[in-house]
Amino acid sequence: MIELPWGLLFTSIIGAILAGFACSMMGTFVVRMNLSSIGYCMSHAAFAGAAFGLMVSIDPMFGAILFSFITALALGPISEKARLESNIVIGFLFSFMIAIAFIFLNFVPGQTASARALRILWGSILSVTYNDVLLLGLLSFIIVVFVVIFYKELVSIMFHRKLAEASGVNTKIFYFGVLFLTGFAVAMSLRIVGGLLVFALIINPTSTAYQFFFDFKKIIIISPVVGILSCLVGYYLSLVTDLPIGPSIVIISALVFAFSILISPKRRKK
Amino acid sequence: MNENLIELKNIETIYEGENIPVIKDISLEIKKGEFVSIIGPNGAGKTTLLETINGILPYTKGKGYVFSKEIKKNKYKIRKQIGYLIQNYELDPLSPFLCKDVVLMGRTGKTGIFRFFTKDDIEKVWYSMGLVGMIDFAKRPIGKISGGEFQKILLARIISKQPKILLLDEPLSNLDYSSRTQIEILLNRLHEKHDLTILMVSHDLSFIPKRCNRVIVLDKGKIIMDGSKEKILESKNIKNIFKAGDMK
Repeated sequence: MIELPWGLLFTSIIGAILAGFACSMMGTFVVRMNLSSIGYCMSHAAFAGAAFGLMVSIDPMFGAILFSFITALALGPISEKARLESNIVIGFLFSFMIAIAFIFLNFVPGQTASARALRILWGSILSVTYNDVLLLGLLSFIIVVFVVIFYKELVSIMFHRKLAEASGVNTKIFYFGVLFLTGFAVAMSLRIVGGLLVFALIINPTSTAYQFFFDFKKIIIISPVVGILSCLVGYYLSLVTDLPIGPSIVIISALVFAFSILISPKRRKK
Repeated sequence: MNENLIELKNIETIYEGENIPVIKDISLEIKKGEFVSIIGPNGAGKTTLLETINGILPYTKGKGYVFSKEIKKNKYKIRKQIGYLIQNYELDPLSPFLCKDVVLMGRTGKTGIFRFFTKDDIEKVWYSMGLVGMIDFAKRPIGKISGGEFQKILLARIISKQPKILLLDEPLSNLDYSSRTQIEILLNRLHEKHDLTILMVSHDLSFIPKRCNRVIVLDKGKIIMDGSKEKILESKNIKNIFKAGDMK
Protein backbone atom coordinates (compact mmCIF):
# COMPACT_ATOMS: atom_id res chain seq x y z
CA MET A 1 0.00 0.00 0.00
CA ILE A 2 1.27 3.49 -0.89
CA GLU A 3 1.89 5.78 2.09
CA LEU A 4 0.86 9.38 1.43
CA PRO A 5 1.41 12.50 3.54
CA TRP A 6 -1.80 13.54 5.36
CA GLY A 7 -2.09 16.87 3.54
CA LEU A 8 -1.91 15.24 0.13
CA LEU A 9 -4.24 12.43 1.19
CA PHE A 10 -6.81 14.91 2.46
CA THR A 11 -6.72 17.15 -0.65
CA SER A 12 -6.89 14.22 -3.04
CA ILE A 13 -9.76 12.47 -1.19
CA ILE A 14 -11.83 15.65 -1.00
CA GLY A 15 -10.99 16.27 -4.67
CA ALA A 16 -12.19 12.78 -5.61
CA ILE A 17 -15.43 13.20 -3.63
CA LEU A 18 -16.19 16.57 -5.22
CA ALA A 19 -15.34 15.38 -8.75
CA GLY A 20 -17.56 12.31 -8.22
CA PHE A 21 -20.38 14.54 -7.04
CA ALA A 22 -20.13 17.22 -9.75
CA CYS A 23 -19.76 14.84 -12.71
CA SER A 24 -22.46 12.39 -11.68
CA MET A 25 -24.91 15.14 -10.73
CA MET A 26 -24.54 16.73 -14.17
CA GLY A 27 -24.62 13.23 -15.66
CA THR A 28 -28.23 12.91 -14.46
CA PHE A 29 -29.22 15.58 -16.98
CA VAL A 30 -26.71 14.80 -19.71
CA VAL A 31 -27.74 11.13 -19.93
CA ARG A 32 -31.42 12.05 -20.08
CA MET A 33 -30.70 14.62 -22.82
CA ASN A 34 -28.80 11.95 -24.85
CA LEU A 35 -25.65 14.07 -24.73
CA SER A 36 -23.40 11.46 -23.17
CA SER A 37 -20.63 12.11 -25.70
CA ILE A 38 -20.16 15.60 -24.26
CA GLY A 39 -17.45 14.05 -22.04
CA TYR A 40 -15.31 13.12 -25.07
CA CYS A 41 -15.70 16.55 -26.56
CA MET A 42 -14.74 18.40 -23.37
CA SER A 43 -11.77 16.18 -22.64
CA HIS A 44 -10.33 16.72 -26.10
CA ALA A 45 -10.98 20.43 -25.81
CA ALA A 46 -8.94 20.26 -22.61
CA PHE A 47 -6.20 18.36 -24.45
CA ALA A 48 -6.12 21.06 -27.14
CA GLY A 49 -6.03 23.71 -24.40
CA ALA A 50 -3.10 21.99 -22.69
CA ALA A 51 -1.24 21.82 -26.01
CA PHE A 52 -1.99 25.50 -26.56
CA GLY A 53 -0.68 26.27 -23.06
CA LEU A 54 2.59 24.50 -23.86
CA MET A 55 2.90 26.30 -27.17
CA VAL A 56 2.54 29.77 -25.62
CA SER A 57 4.46 28.76 -22.44
CA ILE A 58 1.63 29.04 -19.89
CA ASP A 59 0.36 26.41 -17.42
CA PRO A 60 -1.14 23.60 -19.57
CA MET A 61 -3.87 23.08 -16.95
CA PHE A 62 -4.94 26.69 -17.31
CA GLY A 63 -5.12 26.22 -21.09
CA ALA A 64 -7.11 23.01 -20.61
CA ILE A 65 -9.70 24.68 -18.38
CA LEU A 66 -9.92 27.70 -20.67
CA PHE A 67 -10.60 25.58 -23.78
CA SER A 68 -13.17 23.44 -21.94
CA PHE A 69 -15.00 26.57 -20.84
CA ILE A 70 -15.05 28.05 -24.32
CA THR A 71 -16.32 24.75 -25.76
CA ALA A 72 -19.02 24.48 -23.07
CA LEU A 73 -20.13 28.04 -23.76
CA ALA A 74 -20.16 27.57 -27.53
CA LEU A 75 -21.82 24.14 -27.71
CA GLY A 76 -25.41 25.18 -26.95
CA PRO A 77 -25.57 28.34 -29.08
CA ILE A 78 -23.85 26.60 -32.04
CA SER A 79 -26.30 23.70 -32.05
CA GLU A 80 -29.28 26.07 -31.68
CA LYS A 81 -28.10 28.53 -34.35
CA ALA A 82 -27.07 25.87 -36.84
CA ARG A 83 -30.24 23.87 -36.07
CA LEU A 84 -28.12 20.78 -35.63
CA GLU A 85 -28.44 17.96 -33.15
CA SER A 86 -26.15 18.63 -30.18
CA ASN A 87 -24.49 15.26 -30.78
CA ILE A 88 -23.48 16.35 -34.30
CA VAL A 89 -21.95 19.55 -32.94
CA ILE A 90 -20.19 17.51 -30.22
CA GLY A 91 -18.76 15.17 -32.89
CA PHE A 92 -17.60 18.11 -34.98
CA LEU A 93 -15.96 19.90 -32.03
CA PHE A 94 -14.37 16.64 -30.82
CA SER A 95 -12.51 16.03 -34.09
CA PHE A 96 -11.69 19.72 -34.51
CA MET A 97 -10.15 19.85 -31.03
CA ILE A 98 -7.95 16.79 -31.66
CA ALA A 99 -6.76 18.34 -34.93
CA ILE A 100 -5.80 21.68 -33.39
CA ALA A 101 -4.21 19.93 -30.40
CA PHE A 102 -1.78 18.13 -32.69
CA ILE A 103 -1.13 21.31 -34.65
CA PHE A 104 -0.28 23.11 -31.37
CA LEU A 105 1.96 20.22 -30.28
CA ASN A 106 3.75 20.43 -33.62
CA PHE A 107 5.07 23.84 -32.54
CA VAL A 108 6.28 22.54 -29.16
CA PRO A 109 9.77 21.11 -29.33
CA GLY A 110 10.64 17.94 -27.38
CA GLN A 111 8.74 14.87 -26.29
CA THR A 112 8.55 15.95 -22.62
CA ALA A 113 6.24 18.80 -23.47
CA SER A 114 3.93 16.52 -25.46
CA ALA A 115 3.89 14.12 -22.52
CA ARG A 116 2.72 16.97 -20.25
CA ALA A 117 -0.21 17.65 -22.59
CA LEU A 118 -1.08 13.97 -22.73
CA ARG A 119 -1.11 13.85 -18.93
CA ILE A 120 -4.30 15.93 -19.12
CA LEU A 121 -5.95 12.96 -20.84
CA TRP A 122 -4.86 10.51 -18.13
CA GLY A 123 -5.04 12.66 -15.00
CA SER A 124 -3.10 12.47 -11.77
CA ILE A 125 -4.95 12.97 -8.52
CA LEU A 126 -1.72 13.45 -6.61
CA SER A 127 -1.12 16.70 -8.50
CA VAL A 128 -4.42 18.13 -7.20
CA THR A 129 -3.79 21.37 -5.33
CA TYR A 130 -5.69 23.09 -2.54
CA ASN A 131 -6.92 25.66 -5.08
CA ASP A 132 -8.28 22.88 -7.33
CA VAL A 133 -10.27 21.54 -4.39
CA LEU A 134 -11.60 25.01 -3.60
CA LEU A 135 -12.71 25.46 -7.21
CA LEU A 136 -14.36 22.03 -7.26
CA GLY A 137 -16.10 22.90 -4.00
CA LEU A 138 -17.36 26.15 -5.50
CA LEU A 139 -18.55 24.32 -8.60
CA SER A 140 -20.38 21.69 -6.53
CA PHE A 141 -22.08 24.48 -4.57
CA ILE A 142 -23.14 26.23 -7.80
CA ILE A 143 -24.53 22.93 -9.16
CA VAL A 144 -26.56 22.32 -5.99
CA VAL A 145 -27.97 25.86 -6.04
CA PHE A 146 -28.77 25.55 -9.78
CA VAL A 147 -30.58 22.23 -9.31
CA VAL A 148 -32.50 23.30 -6.18
CA ILE A 149 -33.67 26.65 -7.54
CA PHE A 150 -34.54 25.43 -11.03
CA TYR A 151 -35.59 21.89 -10.13
CA LYS A 152 -39.12 22.21 -11.52
CA GLU A 153 -37.92 23.69 -14.82
CA LEU A 154 -35.13 21.10 -15.20
CA VAL A 155 -37.41 18.14 -14.49
CA SER A 156 -39.98 19.46 -16.92
CA ILE A 157 -37.32 19.77 -19.66
CA MET A 158 -35.95 16.31 -18.86
CA PHE A 159 -39.40 14.81 -19.40
CA HIS A 160 -40.00 16.50 -22.76
CA ARG A 161 -38.42 19.71 -23.99
CA LYS A 162 -41.23 20.71 -26.34
CA LEU A 163 -43.92 20.11 -23.69
CA ALA A 164 -41.90 22.19 -21.24
CA GLU A 165 -41.63 24.98 -23.82
CA ALA A 166 -45.39 24.73 -24.46
CA SER A 167 -46.12 25.02 -20.76
CA GLY A 168 -44.28 28.37 -20.65
CA VAL A 169 -40.69 27.45 -19.73
CA ASN A 170 -37.89 29.19 -21.64
CA THR A 171 -36.03 25.92 -22.13
CA LYS A 172 -33.04 27.37 -23.99
CA ILE A 173 -31.43 29.06 -20.97
CA PHE A 174 -31.67 25.88 -18.87
CA TYR A 175 -30.35 23.75 -21.71
CA PHE A 176 -27.33 26.04 -22.08
CA GLY A 177 -26.94 26.10 -18.29
CA VAL A 178 -26.73 22.28 -18.14
CA LEU A 179 -24.16 22.19 -20.98
CA PHE A 180 -22.06 24.91 -19.39
CA LEU A 181 -22.03 23.37 -15.90
CA THR A 182 -21.17 19.97 -17.41
CA GLY A 183 -18.24 21.55 -19.24
CA PHE A 184 -17.17 23.21 -16.00
CA ALA A 185 -17.42 19.86 -14.12
CA VAL A 186 -15.36 18.08 -16.78
CA ALA A 187 -12.69 20.80 -16.81
CA MET A 188 -12.36 20.75 -13.03
CA SER A 189 -12.21 16.95 -12.83
CA LEU A 190 -9.45 16.59 -15.42
CA ARG A 191 -6.61 16.49 -12.90
CA ILE A 192 -8.31 13.72 -10.95
CA VAL A 193 -9.55 11.13 -13.42
CA GLY A 194 -8.19 12.59 -16.64
CA GLY A 195 -9.98 13.74 -19.75
CA LEU A 196 -10.54 10.31 -21.24
CA LEU A 197 -12.01 8.76 -18.12
CA VAL A 198 -14.14 11.64 -16.88
CA PHE A 199 -16.71 10.46 -19.41
CA ALA A 200 -17.27 7.34 -17.29
CA LEU A 201 -17.85 9.42 -14.18
CA ILE A 202 -20.62 11.28 -16.00
CA ILE A 203 -22.33 8.21 -17.44
CA ASN A 204 -21.83 5.25 -15.08
CA PRO A 205 -23.30 6.54 -11.78
CA THR A 206 -26.38 7.97 -13.51
CA SER A 207 -26.90 4.85 -15.61
CA THR A 208 -26.64 2.81 -12.38
CA ALA A 209 -29.29 4.94 -10.67
CA TYR A 210 -31.55 4.64 -13.73
CA GLN A 211 -31.60 0.84 -13.27
CA PHE A 212 -33.43 1.11 -9.96
CA PHE A 213 -35.84 4.03 -10.00
CA PHE A 214 -38.77 5.37 -11.99
CA ASP A 215 -38.68 8.57 -9.95
CA PHE A 216 -36.32 11.27 -11.27
CA LYS A 217 -36.03 12.82 -7.79
CA LYS A 218 -34.49 9.59 -6.49
CA ILE A 219 -32.13 9.36 -9.49
CA ILE A 220 -30.86 12.89 -8.81
CA ILE A 221 -30.03 11.88 -5.21
CA ILE A 222 -28.65 8.39 -5.85
CA SER A 223 -26.49 9.21 -8.88
CA PRO A 224 -24.07 11.51 -6.97
CA VAL A 225 -23.98 9.01 -4.08
CA VAL A 226 -22.87 6.28 -6.51
CA GLY A 227 -20.41 8.73 -8.11
CA ILE A 228 -18.82 9.65 -4.77
CA LEU A 229 -18.63 6.02 -3.58
CA SER A 230 -17.06 4.92 -6.90
CA CYS A 231 -14.41 7.61 -6.50
CA LEU A 232 -13.65 6.67 -2.89
CA VAL A 233 -13.52 2.90 -3.50
CA GLY A 234 -11.49 3.42 -6.70
CA TYR A 235 -9.10 5.67 -4.80
CA TYR A 236 -8.65 3.08 -2.05
CA LEU A 237 -8.16 0.33 -4.64
CA SER A 238 -5.41 2.31 -6.32
CA LEU A 239 -3.64 2.92 -2.99
CA VAL A 240 -3.63 -0.75 -2.02
CA THR A 241 -2.82 -2.16 -5.46
CA ASP A 242 -0.57 0.62 -6.76
CA LEU A 243 -2.73 0.95 -9.86
CA PRO A 244 -3.33 4.40 -11.43
CA ILE A 245 -6.19 6.27 -9.67
CA GLY A 246 -8.27 7.40 -12.69
CA PRO A 247 -8.63 3.94 -14.25
CA SER A 248 -9.29 2.40 -10.80
CA ILE A 249 -12.21 4.80 -10.25
CA VAL A 250 -13.59 4.04 -13.70
CA ILE A 251 -13.29 0.26 -13.22
CA ILE A 252 -15.20 0.45 -9.93
CA SER A 253 -17.97 2.61 -11.43
CA ALA A 254 -18.19 0.28 -14.46
CA LEU A 255 -18.44 -2.80 -12.22
CA VAL A 256 -21.16 -1.14 -10.13
CA PHE A 257 -23.06 -0.33 -13.34
CA ALA A 258 -22.69 -3.89 -14.69
CA PHE A 259 -23.90 -5.31 -11.37
CA SER A 260 -26.86 -2.91 -11.33
CA ILE A 261 -27.97 -4.21 -14.73
CA LEU A 262 -27.92 -7.76 -13.37
CA ILE A 263 -30.08 -6.95 -10.35
CA SER A 264 -32.18 -4.14 -11.83
CA PRO A 265 -35.87 -4.51 -10.86
CA LYS A 266 -36.76 -2.67 -14.08
CA ARG A 267 -35.41 -5.58 -16.13
CA ARG A 268 -36.91 -8.34 -14.03
CA LYS A 269 -39.48 -10.43 -15.86
CA LYS A 270 -42.75 -10.96 -14.05
CA MET B 1 -69.34 34.79 -25.99
CA ASN B 2 -68.20 38.24 -27.24
CA GLU B 3 -64.58 38.67 -26.34
CA ASN B 4 -62.02 37.61 -28.95
CA LEU B 5 -59.42 35.40 -27.29
CA ILE B 6 -57.53 34.60 -30.48
CA GLU B 7 -57.17 36.90 -33.44
CA LEU B 8 -55.07 36.11 -36.49
CA LYS B 9 -54.70 38.57 -39.36
CA ASN B 10 -53.28 37.31 -42.66
CA ILE B 11 -50.87 34.95 -40.92
CA GLU B 12 -48.23 33.03 -42.83
CA THR B 13 -45.83 30.56 -41.24
CA ILE B 14 -42.74 29.14 -42.92
CA TYR B 15 -40.48 26.56 -41.27
CA GLU B 16 -36.91 27.74 -40.81
CA GLY B 17 -34.77 26.89 -43.84
CA GLU B 18 -37.79 26.41 -46.13
CA ASN B 19 -39.36 28.72 -48.68
CA ILE B 20 -42.90 27.41 -48.96
CA PRO B 21 -45.37 28.56 -46.31
CA VAL B 22 -47.15 25.77 -44.43
CA ILE B 23 -50.06 28.05 -43.61
CA LYS B 24 -50.83 31.15 -45.63
CA ASP B 25 -53.13 34.15 -45.37
CA ILE B 26 -54.94 32.78 -42.33
CA SER B 27 -57.39 35.22 -40.76
CA LEU B 28 -59.32 33.94 -37.82
CA GLU B 29 -61.18 35.10 -34.74
CA ILE B 30 -61.96 32.76 -31.87
CA LYS B 31 -64.31 34.02 -29.20
CA LYS B 32 -64.32 33.12 -25.54
CA GLY B 33 -66.16 29.88 -24.86
CA GLU B 34 -66.08 28.55 -28.42
CA PHE B 35 -65.36 24.88 -29.08
CA VAL B 36 -63.76 24.77 -32.51
CA SER B 37 -62.71 21.70 -34.49
CA ILE B 38 -60.01 22.26 -37.07
CA ILE B 39 -60.17 19.51 -39.65
CA GLY B 40 -58.25 18.73 -42.79
CA PRO B 41 -56.19 16.05 -44.46
CA ASN B 42 -52.65 15.21 -43.41
CA GLY B 43 -50.26 18.04 -44.26
CA ALA B 44 -53.03 20.67 -44.33
CA GLY B 45 -51.20 22.80 -41.73
CA LYS B 46 -53.40 22.02 -38.70
CA THR B 47 -50.55 21.43 -36.24
CA THR B 48 -48.65 24.43 -37.66
CA LEU B 49 -51.70 26.58 -36.99
CA LEU B 50 -51.87 25.45 -33.34
CA GLU B 51 -48.14 25.97 -32.86
CA THR B 52 -48.36 29.43 -34.42
CA ILE B 53 -51.13 30.37 -31.98
CA ASN B 54 -49.03 29.02 -29.11
CA GLY B 55 -45.94 30.93 -30.30
CA ILE B 56 -43.85 27.78 -30.74
CA LEU B 57 -43.53 28.57 -34.46
CA PRO B 58 -43.02 32.25 -35.30
CA TYR B 59 -45.22 33.59 -38.10
CA THR B 60 -43.44 35.22 -41.01
CA LYS B 61 -46.27 37.51 -42.18
CA GLY B 62 -49.34 39.09 -40.65
CA LYS B 63 -50.21 39.73 -37.01
CA GLY B 64 -51.41 37.36 -34.32
CA TYR B 65 -52.97 38.17 -30.96
CA VAL B 66 -53.96 35.98 -28.03
CA PHE B 67 -55.69 37.64 -25.06
CA SER B 68 -55.18 40.88 -27.07
CA LYS B 69 -51.39 40.48 -26.73
CA GLU B 70 -49.14 40.09 -29.76
CA ILE B 71 -48.03 36.46 -29.85
CA LYS B 72 -44.40 37.04 -30.91
CA LYS B 73 -43.63 39.50 -28.13
CA ASN B 74 -45.53 37.72 -25.37
CA LYS B 75 -45.21 34.01 -26.15
CA TYR B 76 -44.17 32.93 -22.63
CA LYS B 77 -46.88 35.05 -20.96
CA ILE B 78 -49.50 33.70 -23.35
CA ARG B 79 -48.46 30.08 -22.83
CA LYS B 80 -49.17 30.36 -19.11
CA GLN B 81 -52.87 30.56 -20.03
CA ILE B 82 -52.83 27.94 -22.79
CA GLY B 83 -52.95 24.19 -22.38
CA TYR B 84 -51.34 22.51 -25.40
CA LEU B 85 -51.70 18.80 -26.01
CA ILE B 86 -49.15 17.65 -28.59
CA GLN B 87 -49.72 14.96 -31.18
CA ASN B 88 -48.38 11.39 -31.13
CA TYR B 89 -45.92 11.68 -28.33
CA GLU B 90 -43.90 8.47 -28.15
CA LEU B 91 -43.13 7.52 -24.59
CA ASP B 92 -40.01 5.74 -23.41
CA PRO B 93 -41.22 2.77 -21.29
CA LEU B 94 -38.30 3.30 -18.87
CA SER B 95 -39.00 7.02 -18.53
CA PRO B 96 -38.12 7.92 -14.91
CA PHE B 97 -41.19 9.96 -14.06
CA LEU B 98 -44.33 9.20 -12.07
CA CYS B 99 -47.76 10.15 -13.40
CA LYS B 100 -48.35 12.72 -10.64
CA ASP B 101 -45.02 14.42 -11.41
CA VAL B 102 -45.88 14.66 -15.10
CA VAL B 103 -49.18 16.36 -14.17
CA LEU B 104 -47.38 18.72 -11.78
CA MET B 105 -44.97 19.72 -14.58
CA GLY B 106 -47.96 21.33 -16.30
CA ARG B 107 -47.84 24.05 -13.64
CA THR B 108 -44.15 24.88 -14.12
CA GLY B 109 -44.61 27.82 -16.48
CA LYS B 110 -47.63 29.15 -14.60
CA THR B 111 -45.89 29.08 -11.20
CA GLY B 112 -42.99 31.00 -12.71
CA ILE B 113 -39.22 31.02 -12.38
CA PHE B 114 -37.53 31.32 -8.93
CA ARG B 115 -40.67 29.99 -7.25
CA PHE B 116 -41.22 26.59 -5.67
CA PHE B 117 -44.42 24.61 -6.02
CA THR B 118 -46.85 25.26 -3.18
CA LYS B 119 -49.63 23.25 -1.53
CA ASP B 120 -52.04 24.96 -3.91
CA ASP B 121 -50.13 23.56 -6.92
CA ILE B 122 -50.29 20.05 -5.46
CA GLU B 123 -54.03 20.40 -4.78
CA LYS B 124 -54.60 21.40 -8.41
CA VAL B 125 -52.73 18.28 -9.51
CA TRP B 126 -54.99 16.02 -7.44
CA TYR B 127 -58.07 17.89 -8.62
CA SER B 128 -57.21 17.53 -12.29
CA MET B 129 -56.20 13.88 -11.87
CA GLY B 130 -59.57 13.28 -10.22
CA LEU B 131 -61.31 15.04 -13.08
CA VAL B 132 -59.82 12.65 -15.63
CA GLY B 133 -60.30 9.66 -13.30
CA MET B 134 -56.60 8.91 -12.89
CA ILE B 135 -55.98 9.35 -9.14
CA ASP B 136 -55.21 5.64 -8.74
CA PHE B 137 -52.40 6.02 -11.28
CA ALA B 138 -50.64 8.86 -9.41
CA LYS B 139 -47.63 6.81 -8.32
CA ARG B 140 -47.39 4.64 -11.43
CA PRO B 141 -44.40 5.18 -13.76
CA ILE B 142 -45.53 7.15 -16.80
CA GLY B 143 -43.96 4.66 -19.21
CA LYS B 144 -45.98 1.78 -17.81
CA ILE B 145 -49.48 2.97 -18.65
CA SER B 146 -51.56 2.49 -21.81
CA GLY B 147 -51.97 5.03 -24.64
CA GLY B 148 -55.45 6.05 -23.47
CA GLU B 149 -54.32 6.43 -19.87
CA PHE B 150 -51.34 8.48 -21.02
CA GLN B 151 -53.59 10.78 -23.01
CA LYS B 152 -55.70 11.31 -19.87
CA ILE B 153 -52.55 12.13 -17.86
CA LEU B 154 -51.51 14.68 -20.48
CA LEU B 155 -55.01 16.15 -20.33
CA ALA B 156 -54.76 16.33 -16.53
CA ARG B 157 -51.38 18.01 -17.00
CA ILE B 158 -52.84 20.83 -19.06
CA ILE B 159 -55.97 21.12 -16.90
CA SER B 160 -53.84 21.47 -13.74
CA LYS B 161 -52.55 24.68 -15.23
CA GLN B 162 -56.12 26.05 -15.21
CA PRO B 163 -55.76 27.48 -18.71
CA LYS B 164 -58.24 29.69 -20.50
CA ILE B 165 -57.60 28.07 -23.88
CA LEU B 166 -57.03 24.42 -24.77
CA LEU B 167 -55.16 23.62 -27.98
CA LEU B 168 -55.59 19.90 -28.63
CA ASP B 169 -53.69 18.22 -31.44
CA GLU B 170 -55.43 14.99 -32.47
CA PRO B 171 -56.39 14.05 -28.88
CA LEU B 172 -58.55 11.15 -30.06
CA SER B 173 -56.30 9.54 -32.64
CA ASN B 174 -54.44 6.27 -31.94
CA LEU B 175 -56.92 5.39 -29.19
CA ASP B 176 -59.26 2.44 -28.95
CA TYR B 177 -63.01 3.05 -29.07
CA SER B 178 -63.48 2.99 -25.30
CA SER B 179 -60.62 5.45 -24.55
CA ARG B 180 -61.79 7.71 -27.35
CA THR B 181 -65.32 7.84 -25.95
CA GLN B 182 -64.02 8.56 -22.44
CA ILE B 183 -61.82 11.43 -23.64
CA GLU B 184 -64.61 12.83 -25.77
CA ILE B 185 -66.98 12.83 -22.76
CA LEU B 186 -64.25 14.50 -20.72
CA LEU B 187 -63.72 17.24 -23.31
CA ASN B 188 -67.45 17.92 -23.48
CA ARG B 189 -67.59 18.10 -19.68
CA LEU B 190 -64.56 20.42 -19.48
CA HIS B 191 -66.09 22.77 -22.01
CA GLU B 192 -69.44 22.76 -20.27
CA LYS B 193 -68.27 23.26 -16.69
CA HIS B 194 -64.96 25.09 -16.89
CA ASP B 195 -65.68 27.96 -19.25
CA LEU B 196 -62.88 26.93 -21.57
CA THR B 197 -62.20 27.90 -25.16
CA ILE B 198 -61.15 24.80 -27.08
CA LEU B 199 -59.44 24.40 -30.46
CA MET B 200 -59.19 20.76 -31.40
CA VAL B 201 -57.37 19.45 -34.44
CA SER B 202 -58.57 16.30 -36.13
CA HIS B 203 -58.13 14.58 -39.47
CA ASP B 204 -61.28 12.52 -38.97
CA LEU B 205 -64.82 13.86 -39.35
CA SER B 206 -66.16 11.26 -36.92
CA PHE B 207 -63.95 12.73 -34.14
CA ILE B 208 -65.88 15.96 -33.76
CA PRO B 209 -67.22 16.15 -30.18
CA LYS B 210 -70.87 16.86 -29.39
CA ARG B 211 -70.30 20.28 -27.86
CA CYS B 212 -68.20 21.53 -30.75
CA ASN B 213 -70.06 24.51 -32.24
CA ARG B 214 -67.77 25.53 -35.08
CA VAL B 215 -65.73 23.68 -37.67
CA ILE B 216 -62.84 25.14 -39.65
CA VAL B 217 -61.65 23.17 -42.67
CA LEU B 218 -58.00 23.61 -43.65
CA ASP B 219 -56.42 22.41 -46.86
CA LYS B 220 -52.97 23.17 -48.26
CA GLY B 221 -52.41 25.75 -45.55
CA LYS B 222 -55.56 27.76 -46.22
CA ILE B 223 -58.97 28.00 -44.58
CA ILE B 224 -61.43 26.74 -47.13
CA MET B 225 -64.56 26.45 -44.97
CA ASP B 226 -65.58 27.94 -41.65
CA GLY B 227 -69.01 27.55 -40.10
CA SER B 228 -71.26 25.69 -37.73
CA LYS B 229 -70.76 21.96 -37.31
CA GLU B 230 -74.08 21.18 -38.94
CA LYS B 231 -73.44 23.46 -41.91
CA ILE B 232 -69.99 22.01 -42.59
CA LEU B 233 -70.98 18.36 -42.14
CA GLU B 234 -74.02 18.75 -44.39
CA SER B 235 -72.04 20.53 -47.07
CA LYS B 236 -71.83 18.58 -50.30
CA ASN B 237 -68.37 19.96 -50.86
CA ILE B 238 -66.84 18.40 -47.79
CA LYS B 239 -66.39 14.97 -49.30
CA ASN B 240 -65.38 16.33 -52.69
CA ILE B 241 -62.70 18.52 -51.15
CA PHE B 242 -60.84 15.62 -49.65
CA LYS B 243 -59.81 12.65 -51.63
CA ALA B 244 -60.90 9.22 -50.46
CA GLY B 245 -58.58 7.93 -47.78
CA ASP B 246 -57.48 11.33 -46.56
CA MET B 247 -60.48 11.71 -44.31
CA LYS B 248 -63.01 9.29 -42.99
